[in-house]
Amino acid sequence: MKKLLFLLLAGIVAATATPALAQDTIKIGLMCPLTGSWAAEGKDMKQIVELLADQVNNQGGLLGKDVKVVIGDDGGDPRTAALAAQRMATRDVAAVVGTYGSSITEASQNIYASANIIQVANGSTAVRLTEKGLPYFFRTCPRDDEQGRVAVKTLLDSGYENIAILHDNTTYAKGLADEAKKLLDEKDVNIVFFDALTPGEQDYGTILSKMKTKDPDVVFFTGYYPEAGLMLRQKMEKGWDVPFIGGDATNNPDLVKIAGNKAAEGFRFLSPPVPGDLPTKEAREFMEAYAARYQSTPGSIWAVLAGDGFRVIVEAIKQTQSTDTQKMADYLHKEMQDFPGLTGDIAFNEKGDRIGDVYRVYRVDANGNFVLTE
Amino acid sequence: MEQFFTQLTNGLAVGGIYALIALGYTMVYGVLKLINFAHGDLFTIGAYLGLTLLTSLALTDHIGGLAGVLLLAVMAMGLVGIIGILLDRAAYKPLRTSPRLSAVVSALGASIVLSNTVMLVYGPSTRVYPQGLLPSQVFYIFGLPVPVMRFVILAASIVLMIGLYVFIQRTKIGTAIRAAAIDQDAARLMGINVDRVIMLVFFIGPALGGAAGVMVGLYYGQITFTMGWTYGLKAFTAAILGGIGNIPGAMVGGLLLGVIEALGATYISMAWKDAIAFFVLILILIVRPTGLLGERVAEKI
Amino acid sequence: MKLAAGRIKKPAYGAIILLWMIAPLFIGKYWTDVLNNVAIYALLGLSLNIILGYGGMFHMGHAAFYAVGAYTTAIINTAWGVPVLWLMPAAGLAAGLFALVVARPIIHLRGDYLLIVTIGMVEIVRIALINNVFGITGGANGIFGIDSPSVFGFQINGIVAPAHYFYLVTAFLAITIVLFYLLENSRFGRALKFLCSDEVAAEGSGINTAGYKLAAFVIGAVWAGMTGTLYASKMGFISPESFSFWESVVMFMIVILGGSGNIAGVLLGAALIIGLPEIFQGLQQYRLLIFGLALMIMMIFRPQGILPPKPRSYPIDKLEKNEVSL
Repeated sequence: MKKLLFLLLAGIVAATATPALAQDTIKIGLMCPLTGSWAAEGKDMKQIVELLADQVNNQGGLLGKDVKVVIGDDGGDPRTAALAAQRMATRDVAAVVGTYGSSITEASQNIYASANIIQVANGSTAVRLTEKGLPYFFRTCPRDDEQGRVAVKTLLDSGYENIAILHDNTTYAKGLADEAKKLLDEKDVNIVFFDALTPGEQDYGTILSKMKTKDPDVVFFTGYYPEAGLMLRQKMEKGWDVPFIGGDATNNPDLVKIAGNKAAEGFRFLSPPVPGDLPTKEAREFMEAYAARYQSTPGSIWAVLAGDGFRVIVEAIKQTQSTDTQKMADYLHKEMQDFPGLTGDIAFNEKGDRIGDVYRVYRVDANGNFVLTE
Repeated sequence: MEQFFTQLTNGLAVGGIYALIALGYTMVYGVLKLINFAHGDLFTIGAYLGLTLLTSLALTDHIGGLAGVLLLAVMAMGLVGIIGILLDRAAYKPLRTSPRLSAVVSALGASIVLSNTVMLVYGPSTRVYPQGLLPSQVFYIFGLPVPVMRFVILAASIVLMIGLYVFIQRTKIGTAIRAAAIDQDAARLMGINVDRVIMLVFFIGPALGGAAGVMVGLYYGQITFTMGWTYGLKAFTAAILGGIGNIPGAMVGGLLLGVIEALGATYISMAWKDAIAFFVLILILIVRPTGLLGERVAEKI
Repeated sequence: MKLAAGRIKKPAYGAIILLWMIAPLFIGKYWTDVLNNVAIYALLGLSLNIILGYGGMFHMGHAAFYAVGAYTTAIINTAWGVPVLWLMPAAGLAAGLFALVVARPIIHLRGDYLLIVTIGMVEIVRIALINNVFGITGGANGIFGIDSPSVFGFQINGIVAPAHYFYLVTAFLAITIVLFYLLENSRFGRALKFLCSDEVAAEGSGINTAGYKLAAFVIGAVWAGMTGTLYASKMGFISPESFSFWESVVMFMIVILGGSGNIAGVLLGAALIIGLPEIFQGLQQYRLLIFGLALMIMMIFRPQGILPPKPRSYPIDKLEKNEVSL
């Protein structure tokens, strides 16, 4: 038995250590969290990018070559991500898509920059990532300050006067909450509550009770969908009917499953448009292909944004007819205009940030569907 | 004052779950002096198995809501208990005579294996229990709304705990467990089958964890493969707080931890909630080095 | 038989050291960076080994000291531009002082109670960092823009040129190994081990047990703090998630798996715990599962750790003449 286990382990090591060295492919890297707390996002990212890569290959590939997706697991942790990036940089990829968390992306940024590899992040919204002047860094997601602006506009347009802001102390949620608070303070709006919950728990009764004593008109929650779903449910249970508005990390169909249709009804959130809401051919075809292959719809908007990252890289290679980093970067910075992405039109500014009004306001209807307002 | 009572009930509901998981830690520790870091993941498995049973057997359709839920909980408990015995055989039994910390590392390895197995089998995304199985009425106590399920959860935890306590204190098998906890060799000389006792402990502890998993799934609705680590750490804290190895200690520790968290979050700071709980734990241990109800146990390293 | 084994060991160690030194020339940036990680965790493991291995104190919160060192470095460097390597003593001092303050009241706790208290300590530190305690830790964002270390004006960028960094961290590791070897065989080290195996007897022999335990805690913390400097200057930014409870668990596993109380064992432990997940990278989402299995299997095969410390030997021929006649 013991010997058998050892042999098994040895076999696994040997099997994984053999690299494929085909030169007639164009390799595009995908760095995503396949293990750890964000593994759900990573799995979706992987599925979407692999699907899109297969589509490209079925249509004859790129520059006459097949596209191969090289996947690295960043584990949702900066140290692991730095190693994953070092590994990716040695594997001769034309460009890299990813990753999800801002601090995770930050750990990899300098590695790709020094290896002259284009990186298109998909879920890293922290403002400072594109303020460093890195020439080859792009992102398909909007920034925290952009979302903060839209959030405050939505809150004010709805006529709320006493606002509670709740975040979860992650880089992303805290950043968005701080942005919103700053803008609301400038407008002299009364913020009656500003605090953080501990993500990953199940019972938020304590927090809801505490917020209730402050009697806000609305709660703006900047964290993620599991906590949002639980709070909606527990809030209804307590018979408290304050409206909730969420940030884009609450855009996930599971939110409604967790909360239940009745509790989720009326919940609003900000998000880039989901592919199902876009009239474009690309978005519709993508949704159909995804449903056909995985029998589901993509979980979160961030994974779809990874798909967009992949698509802009493919487009850059196609248009420049090369995998030269400088040429591709020049194309992405200057020439790409209104590229039809899965989440709306895509263009980048000189910092590598996505241009344009990306955010929409969604509302959950009585059947638990996300519908566009406006 | 109103706030205080509301938060007290919030804390007790969470504390009941902590206590139930803490019992598994404490039982295994009592007999084997082993910190079973994989215990939290057994709790997760309970929640996931409960979901599978619930959706595949449709029990609640056949025999009605409450009976279905009860039967489901019993089945999940049995399965998790069996997994607990297997875990002991695979990860801990070979290390019975080794240094204690070796078994701790093996337990950490087992925890990685179990949580990643759950991730690979059920997928990494959040899973959701079907809704509407449980009554959603709200009680009014002195005019304060308290969801009825919070009482049910707390009551279920307490019933299970009292049942366990009576089993340990009043039955013959319970006496054997207590004897093995005090001195395994002496227990063996008295004709107690210590291996059988250990097996039983590794059945009951995980089964209670599994029950807590099903309760969390049914009540909160949402389960993830990483939740065992969070709950496990909290339950371990609760077990130590009450005095590890001591069954009433685990109950008191769990409920107290839940209340400390709720009140700390309310009156001091929400973002510092866990830090406050740990701070109180450290203060209590400085004053009472073996926990609230723990007796001084001889140290063997 | 024993003698022969001893003789083989010396050339074997020499070969390993030589291979380690020339490795960056052959293995490329990625594996060099893996070795850098191994070296950093070897340093952390060695520092924890003083507390856990020699001192026998169940300490599962070592990341707290590592964090104090890293944040001290980051805060002073970004605020006043003091070169990072000069900050190593400051980081060590800060971590040591922190250890002195927190360890004093808890040092008398036994076994598992100490374990949960140290876990509590590392969690409190992490939560404090996330909540931007004193307004200087940057909250969840952490601190960025930390300088690379420079030696005699030569910039060592751990990200761009892992090989340069490799020799820096190797130098520090070598110094550490020599110092800790001397410590292990000093009066202090012997007293600590005695205390670990039988505290009552040690106390009876006139060893100030509480004092020695506290000293072990402080030395371990100082070294973890200095390693924090190396980590912060390598990454260029730090954030609280790098100093979680799980990091402490990793350090704990390194010591126990490798061989608690043995320097060579701890080094091997670091290589396995940090190296294996990288070797399994090709397995993608299955890699942690296999890693966990490997951990269990290795522990079951070698319950004392892979390289447990040898019992101290007292060779007959080294004894004084009249002692032999006893």
